[in-house]
Amino acid sequence: MNGLQKDLSALVGSEKVFTDPMDMHAYSSDATHYFASRNPDAVVLPAETSDVSKVLKYAFDHAIPVTPRGAGSGLSAGCTPIKGGIVLDMKRMNRIIEVNRGNMTARVEAGVVLANFHKTVERQKLFYPPDPQSLEVCTLGGNVATRAGGPRAVKYGATGNYVLGLETVLPDGEVINTGGMCVKQSVGYDLTRLLTGSEGTLGVITKINLRLVPLPAAHKTAIVVCETVEHAAKVTSEIIADGTVPARLEFLHKGAIGLMNMFAANKIPLNGEAFLFVELDGGRAQVEEDARRLKDLCERMKVVEVKVVESDQDAEAYWKARQNLNPMLMAIFKRVINEDVTVPRDKIPEMFRLVDIISKSLGITIGMSGHGGDGNIHPVILLSQLSEDLDKKAASAVEQIVKAGLSLGGTVSGEHGIGLHKAGFLDWEVGQAQVELFKRVKKAFDPKGIMNPGKLWPE
Amino acid sequence: MRELKKYAEPLQKCAYCKFCQVSCPIYLQEIFEPDAGGARANLIEAVLLENKYPVSGRFEEIVDRCLLCTNCVQSCPAAIPIDEVVISARHQLRKGKPERVSYKLKKKFMEDRGFGALTGKLGALVSRTGILPGEFPRPADKAFSAISRKVYPAEGQKRGRVAYFVGCATNAFYPETALDVIRVFNRSGVEVIIPEGVKCCGLPALAEGDVDTAVEMAVANVSILSGLEVDAVITDCTSCGMALRTKALKLIPEADPLFWKAHALSAKIFEATDYLSKLGLASEPGAFNERYTYHVPCHRKWTPTLNDAPRLLLAQVPGAVRVEMEYPERCCGAGGTFFLDYPQLSREIKARKVEDVLGTRSSVLVTQCPACRSYLQAELKSHKVMHPLSLLARAYGF
Repeated sequence: MNGLQKDLSALVGSEKVFTDPMDMHAYSSDATHYFASRNPDAVVLPAETSDVSKVLKYAFDHAIPVTPRGAGSGLSAGCTPIKGGIVLDMKRMNRIIEVNRGNMTARVEAGVVLANFHKTVERQKLFYPPDPQSLEVCTLGGNVATRAGGPRAVKYGATGNYVLGLETVLPDGEVINTGGMCVKQSVGYDLTRLLTGSEGTLGVITKINLRLVPLPAAHKTAIVVCETVEHAAKVTSEIIADGTVPARLEFLHKGAIGLMNMFAANKIPLNGEAFLFVELDGGRAQVEEDARRLKDLCERMKVVEVKVVESDQDAEAYWKARQNLNPMLMAIFKRVINEDVTVPRDKIPEMFRLVDIISKSLGITIGMSGHGGDGNIHPVILLSQLSEDLDKKAASAVEQIVKAGLSLGGTVSGEHGIGLHKAGFLDWEVGQAQVELFKRVKKAFDPKGIMNPGKLWPE
Repeated sequence: MRELKKYAEPLQKCAYCKFCQVSCPIYLQEIFEPDAGGARANLIEAVLLENKYPVSGRFEEIVDRCLLCTNCVQSCPAAIPIDEVVISARHQLRKGKPERVSYKLKKKFMEDRGFGALTGKLGALVSRTGILPGEFPRPADKAFSAISRKVYPAEGQKRGRVAYFVGCATNAFYPETALDVIRVFNRSGVEVIIPEGVKCCGLPALAEGDVDTAVEMAVANVSILSGLEVDAVITDCTSCGMALRTKALKLIPEADPLFWKAHALSAKIFEATDYLSKLGLASEPGAFNERYTYHVPCHRKWTPTLNDAPRLLLAQVPGAVRVEMEYPERCCGAGGTFFLDYPQLSREIKARKVEDVLGTRSSVLVTQCPACRSYLQAELKSHKVMHPLSLLARAYGF
């Protein structure tokens, strides 16, 4: 038994500590393994906050790097233990402590899987909207640490909009509770919001207080076909400005629809260049009214076709096909690099144009489909072969896409976070003065720099 | 499945997305990442294909602790055949080594179509030594092979003719299930023939990594089954069916004249409820006034309609009320013979399933897989556990 195994076992119990290289291999990366990977020296699976506190105190005293981890499904190498040390796998802390219908709030442990949380609150006719595509595996702790979002962000916002309070273990083992269970609170610095999105660089989030909303009673889906990408973008903006904020508004390119058609029972005719999948939700009467307004508006704007899907079953099939788009790409291509540069909604056509130029100049395929409603179109770099040359081209494409997004007033990351993958781009967006401030904040929380070192900004 | 190298390319497609964590029974029990299907496949790649680490005891344990349930394959966006990667790895790790004692018994089980290994002298020895856990079912008085006829004619107007592949477990433990399947098919106007000389489907051999034996069985079965003049070959067991439909054709080398026959045969293999629900019942069943719940066996995705077939079929039985459990597709822990090797882990997995079943307040549990049935029946004392077609047979008054 090596020293680390022995020491950590003495602190939290040997059944929670692992150091065999065969086990470490599984913890060497997130879903960007091609970008960075390294085995940790130990993995600890805490059962409660006190375990986390003990491990951090030990790591602090011995200056050992600690990287917290949710599902490991991230797309920014955020939980990749690039300096080795200890990985804290939070997934066994998976209790839903309380769902309070009266206050419309919930308190959970960080390792709760998002889909399980959805199921639990929806059974009580409550709703927790954030819906990253990895919702079946990703954890709420990981969601908070990266401000994860999904299609529903257009109407409901991303994870950050729902966090009311956090229990966090600081690097020296101290446990703090920030925020609370109130929807408003005006008490000094808002550390809850600071810790949200901090990607494990300030402390380890162990418990989360979340705001809930009522579960909408009805849904209605419409498919809008537009002649051009530009027109689809205009229609998108108009739909929202008209007062009908869809629960989801997905922007799909003709190529993506073609792929989806290969496996779908209900084929969508390819009679346009850009397709919008719009989902309306709310009370029954409201949804009917919104669908009528949406249809009128689209017709006034002379779209190629607007089809309100009548049966819920068909609607579900369309959304399922949409959900399967990324998996399909993964089955077809050798590597799929999912970008999440986000631009203001009205800049979408311009972003399409710029990405098209990047794609052509590098000679690599970049798909463009995503959350049109919030400007978070995911450029997807698709490689059908693997080579050093293509890796370089892909890296260059990422860099150019980021620059393009920023030039349009957009942001480096809409919902994946910075991690290691985008650390080099941080100062492009926030500027050197803010990066220096980031570093001072980090120092205040983590004077020894043990928390998830090497992330957010380049060393 | 003999050569792991053949899986190098599909393994490259792993995006490390962790979607296998959704459904891997071992992962869901342990909540420890190396236990999920994808992590297991990645590690096999690193150790056996890329030689990044030496083979170690822990490595062999990780390779061994897989149910081959294919849940990870079903939730893998890139559809990587992780089960075959594990089989290949086991083959590579065990070839040239003496057979394990547990496998010797399984091999005898396969050779005797389930029966001889558990009766007579060997059976007495087995029960005396207590090497089998309490959940292991007792064999029927007479195996199906001892009582079966060659042909069971259709009732009424003849609508088709099928061959019925009776698996080892059904043959040894559940001859009544086989009779129920035949009764229901006959009642639906289908003639059923029982092909002679078929061998085990080969899945237990694959689970051990014994590809050679699995190939022998596939060759024998394809030779017999492809020569039959039938509309389809049906199985009551979802695992036998999967082995015959999706694995046999991969086991027979391309140069073998049987290769194309195996491909043609594959399209004719159906799980019994799936085949019957597509064909439609010829007459309305009588009432069966009980609440039942359906446990979906793991090997459920080898035809697109299999997953829901028992539900569609039994919805036609008046009085039978289906109550869905919360996670109908969650593993029962048996994993074929996995529970013999890892009894404690299997029991922990089963405990969740049992809780789920009890939550439905049903009196009947239906599921096709004989291993699931015997493993769950041992715990669900107050439930009637049966094959979906046995429920249908009862409704028809058999």
